Order: sequence, then structure tokens, then C-alpha cells
Amino acid sequence: MNDRYIFRYIIILVIVVSVLLSAAAMWLQPYQKRNQENEKRINILKAAGIKDVNNDNAEALFAQHCTAQQDGELPMYIIDNQTTVIPMQGNGLWGPIWGYIAVAADGKTVVGAVFDHKSETPGLGAEITTEGYQKQFSGKTMVKKGETVSVEVDAIAGATRTSKGVENMIEQTLQKYIPYFESHE
Amino acid sequence: MSKNWNLITAPLRKANPVTVLILGICSALAVTAKLKPAIVMALSVTVVTGLSNFIISLLRKGIPAKIRIIVQLIVVATLVILVDQFLKAFMYDVSKQLSVFVGLIITNCIVMGRLEAFAMAHKPWESLLDGLGNGLGYGSILVIVAFCRELFGSGTLLGYQVIPQGLYDFGYINNGLMILPPMALIIIGIIIWLQKPEEDRK
Repeated sequence: MNDRYIFRYIIILVIVVSVLLSAAAMWLQPYQKRNQENEKRINILKAAGIKDVNNDNAEALFAQHCTAQQDGELPMYIIDNQTTVIPMQGNGLWGPIWGYIAVAADGKTVVGAVFDHKSETPGLGAEITTEGYQKQFSGKTMVKKGETVSVEVDAIAGATRTSKGVENMIEQTLQKYIPYFESHE
Repeated sequence: MSKNWNLITAPLRKANPVTVLILGICSALAVTAKLKPAIVMALSVTVVTGLSNFIISLLRKGIPAKIRIIVQLIVVATLVILVDQFLKAFMYDVSKQLSVFVGLIITNCIVMGRLEAFAMAHKPWESLLDGLGNGLGYGSILVIVAFCRELFGSGTLLGYQVIPQGLYDFGYINNGLMILPPMALIIIGIIIWLQKPEEDRK
């Protein structure tokens, strides 16, 4: 068991392993990608208040309800010709948070919102993914706040920084959309 | 036959990795709030312990002693990545719930412990059984804990409502404490407490 043997052994082992892992990654990638896209569709439809969306019917339901879609500066998804779903990105306490907010045709009423996070504290910041928290947004009217608009909901006790992060994310995102909403009033 | 059978059954009771050796507690606390992720986690760990034991046992005569821990780690890490990728592709919602804990199987003391203590010195077939037995021993505790936590914490099992609405009308409420990690520790403690005197008697 000299050093040369060790060297050879480890090199062969690593090559075998990397080939194996690459093959597995290539084989599974299409499935994983589909899951991720479906998750996005599910979130958009959920924000717009469409119920009982799951991984199996997400693709069909999305094709059925999403009537228009816009990328670029102001990304948005129009659901059933009236609800505008806007993607959001922001920062929580420990890492990124993101979500979708759905605004009704009047440009003032929030239809619903969904949030997700990478690494917020379970039981505190991670509560933003629960229905109880997200339900608060449904039916709220956006209020003017300085340059931007905001939605007033109860923050999560013990998760001030995450709640603040959600608030900032909503305000910063909606600010860019104010001209769009005004032109659609 | 009976000796091999013992390799599978011993880790379920008298050499249980969780309740007797007190290993793998961390993930046992984290993934047992609901039954479904706990079952998937139990199966994942069983696959990893079984296969890594088998592979290391096959390689055991060629593994250079100086780097054996590194070789073990490479094998375990490869298997864990495969399991993780597989879950992401075919059980996406569960893999999201398990999040980092699938990746953390790599650091699960049970896996490395069995490799060092058993697979390095035994034949492949016996090592496979030992690995599967330990995975199942770990998994059985996970499932018991998750069963209690989901039943009393959410009133459901595998997502289906099992506590009848009538009971809630009488004023029964789900125990919110059950969902929090400390309760998992307490349930594991109770299991150890129930198991210990029985084992001592033998």
C-alpha cells in the first residue's frame, strides 16, 4: 500500500463517481425542471385564488387560465383576463424570499399572495409560507405609502426581520407597477 | 440463517441506533412533524446505509487504510446525492419538506458508524443486511415519533383527517406543542424509557 497505489485508487474512484453522478444528473434533469416549472405555475395560480392545483394538473390549469404573460422589465401573468399576478423577490433574515402577489382588475385590490423562502427560521420566519399568513392578503386594498403602495397585514410575532422583508419586497415590487395600474384603472 | 436474520432484527430493538446508541437524533427531531416525510426519510437512510455498507464491504480489501475515511465519505456522499436527485425528480413536494436533511444523511453518525464498525470487517451480504437493519431501526423510530406527532399535532395521518370532527365540536384541540421539535425529543425519551426496562430484564 504505497503512496502510488493510494493515488491511483483515489483517482479511479473519483472518476467512477463523477461519471455516475453526471449520468444521473442528465437523466433526472428533465423531471426536476418540470417540477420546478410546475411549482411556479402552482404558485401563480394559487395567488390568483384558483384552488386545488397540484403537480399533476398544474400544466393544464395554467394553460387554461393564464391568458397573457409578459417578461422583461415588468414581468406579469394575466389570469382569466382580469387578475394580474406579479412575481416578487426580496430578502428575509437569513436568505432570499420570494413570492407572487395577485392584483384584481381595478388595480387596487389584492386577490391573494403566496410566499416562499430559502432559509427562514422554522416556526417563525418560515410561517410566511403558511396559509394563515397568506390568507390575510386576500381582499386587502393597497394603501398609498410615500412613493409606493403597500398592503397592511399583521406581522408574525417573533419574526420581525422576515415580516419587514416581506413588506419591503412588496413595496419595492409594486412601486415599479404603479404606472401600469394607473393606466388600467 | 438465524445469524443473518439477527443482523436485521437486532438494530430494530436491542441495538437500535436511535434509542440505544442515541445516534441520528438531529434528523429524528427535524423530519418527524408529519408522517410522510418521515417515511421517505426512513427509506432514504435505509437505502444509503444498506448500499454504502455493501459497497464498502466489497471494496474493503482494496481500500488503503490511510484514506479509508475519505473513501467511505465519497461512497456515502455519492449515494446521498443520488437519493437527493431522485427525490427532487419524482417526489418534489416531499423533497422540499425534507430540504437539507436529505443532504445531511452524509453526516448521519449511523452511516459512518456502521461502515467503520461493520462493513470494513465483514462480507458484502452480511454488511448489506446490517446496513438495512440499522436503516430500518432508525426509520422505525422516525415513523413511531412522526405517527404520534402528526396524530396529536395535526389530527391527521399521511394528510388524511383521522380525528373526527365530532371530537373538535366537543372542544378537543390539536396540541400545537407536538409540531415543535422539543416534542420529538420527549417522545424519543418516552420510547427509550419504555424500552429500557424490557431490555434490562433479558
